[in-house]
Amino acid sequence: MFRADPVARTGWRWGGALAAMLVFQSLVLTAIFWGFANDNHRRAIEHGLADDCTFFALTPAEERPEELRERLSRDIHREQFLALFDARGRLIAGNVARLPAASGVGRSIVAAVAPTELPGRTSDVARLTVCAMPDGTRLLTGVDLDDAEEALRLVWRSLLLALAPGLLLALGVGLMLGRRAARQVDAVRRLTARIVAGDLRERLPVSRRPDSVGLLWAQVNAMLDRLQLLVADVRGIGDDIAHQLRTPLTRLRAGLERGLREASDRGAFERVMERALAEIDALLGVVAALLRLRELEDHERRSRFTQVDLARLVEDACDLHRPMAEDRGVTLVCLVHAGVEVRGDPSLLMEAVANLIDNSVKFGPALGRVSVELDRRDTAGIITVRDDGEGIAVSERSLVTQRAYRSPGVVRGAGLGLAMVKGIADLHGFRLHFVEGESSVQLICPAPVDHTSPNSSR
Amino acid sequence: MRVTRILLLEDDAGTATEILLELAAAGHEALHRTTLAGAAEAMRESAIDAMIVDRQLPDGDGLDLIAALRAEGRRTPALVLSALGSLDDRVRGLRAGGDDYLPKPFALVELAARLEALLRRPEEGRATRLIVGPLDLDLLGGTATRAGRLLGLLPRELKLLDYLARRPGRIVTRSMLLQDVWGYTFEPNSNVVDVHMGRLRRKVDGEGEPALIRNVRGQGYVFDVPG
Repeated sequence: MFRADPVARTGWRWGGALAAMLVFQSLVLTAIFWGFANDNHRRAIEHGLADDCTFFALTPAEERPEELRERLSRDIHREQFLALFDARGRLIAGNVARLPAASGVGRSIVAAVAPTELPGRTSDVARLTVCAMPDGTRLLTGVDLDDAEEALRLVWRSLLLALAPGLLLALGVGLMLGRRAARQVDAVRRLTARIVAGDLRERLPVSRRPDSVGLLWAQVNAMLDRLQLLVADVRGIGDDIAHQLRTPLTRLRAGLERGLREASDRGAFERVMERALAEIDALLGVVAALLRLRELEDHERRSRFTQVDLARLVEDACDLHRPMAEDRGVTLVCLVHAGVEVRGDPSLLMEAVANLIDNSVKFGPALGRVSVELDRRDTAGIITVRDDGEGIAVSERSLVTQRAYRSPGVVRGAGLGLAMVKGIADLHGFRLHFVEGESSVQLICPAPVDHTSPNSSR
Repeated sequence: MRVTRILLLEDDAGTATEILLELAAAGHEALHRTTLAGAAEAMRESAIDAMIVDRQLPDGDGLDLIAALRAEGRRTPALVLSALGSLDDRVRGLRAGGDDYLPKPFALVELAARLEALLRRPEEGRATRLIVGPLDLDLLGGTATRAGRLLGLLPRELKLLDYLARRPGRIVTRSMLLQDVWGYTFEPNSNVVDVHMGRLRRKVDGEGEPALIRNVRGQGYVFDVPG
């Protein structure tokens, strides 16, 4: 039974992986952005703080408090901290209550300060520096970092805001891709399950402009087409055998049954037995012919081909059949063009020609004429076997070369003769041709391509 | 005449029984073995005149036995049986040292006739003149006479008569004739051989003369030496 892909979670995996990648990427981006922005901001502040130190150091000591208050009054955003302390750390003027505990001199630090002029706040974080004035007092100058914190919060918030749809997107795309992959795998699994169950008709869907998977599927489909043909062929053989054997077997059985019942004396019984043996021989002939047909499809045999003189072969075939033809009152005429050679299996080619002549003599009109000609057209040898009969009906031509076909009018005969000829022709790369408008069959044997190169031998 | 001893190497009991009965009927003594090993032992211990060897055996291919014997230089005639119905099996069988090849299923008559042929292989070749009873065959000149009467045989008919006359008193089957006289290994659809034989008989056996060639129904032909 077909079970859906348990790794349909592939979707989740894909999604998860994508989301993780996205989060990582965003974090790195934010960190880098934050790092750069922060650094810039710090340097700008430090610059300002250093300026303040220089400025106040140059300001005469008695004017400093005034100047300081003046500065603070101009700071309408209240983000600057400025304070002057005496040598013992007492506030002289400014908006910071006391010096922070850790106060690196010369470098800016981030520290908590106690603002005096911000209502409702006793502590604030600021970047500040403390510098010594020439008269021993110390100046604290700093910038409120509320802005920076605000900026950081903003960055974080935008990051989160951007991440949410990103994550959703990642999961969505992942799920989609995963589902797609799972669907493709499922399609193949369903198909293979059907094939295992013996149904070879199903094919994978291939879109008009296939992607790489589509191309793969097209390939799989092509393979299945071939497989189906082969299987049909194998089944066909089974059918062939059954059809070929059923009639003679029925006849055999009936004959034996009647013989058992009616044959009164030994002589009569012997006649029954002889008829039965003849039937069995015919049956064995059918079996052998079917087996041979199969073997003809084994192209390995080509490696044993030799040079065959068609003229001699056709003449031999004529000689073999002449007495039989004469007995039937049929005139067998043989016209042979000498010097036509092909590569092939002489025994098989003989069989093919013999079959054609045999057919014409047997199925052509009695007292008629059968002509066997070997012609040469360009480099091809053409064997034509012609009689004065009506020939094979056009509608039956493709059928007679199939294994089990027997013309409706013909009662006896294995019905395998022409199939055998076709098989032999195919093996040799020859063509079996029914001439239009007459009862004539041609075996067209193209001259061999130069076989001096040893590629045909192993 | 000494009784001929035949080794039958065949693992199918039914087939073996039939063959053994046929051999007994033909007056041969038979040794039946079902394995290659058994057959090899029998070949070592008994004087065997000919062997009938199946190919697909429980412990290997019958051809291996023949090949081994040939390698030892033993020429005991071997008739190879096989259910492998391949066109090429015949070639392979003969190449491995088999002297004749019979694909299964076969008629017992065919088996007996071919075995006979193996046991009494006539000396082929050198003789260009054959005189049997009233017959005088001149193969070089291509003529044949019966009691001085020129028979007017076609070359093929002369060959047929020669083949038969060299095997007097023995059944010669149609497929043997096709194979040995014509050189074809296929079975024609029609009774072409019978037609040829019919003509030959009419030429050889004239009015009032005793028949030299006899048709054995369902089996083949026998050349009878008169007297």
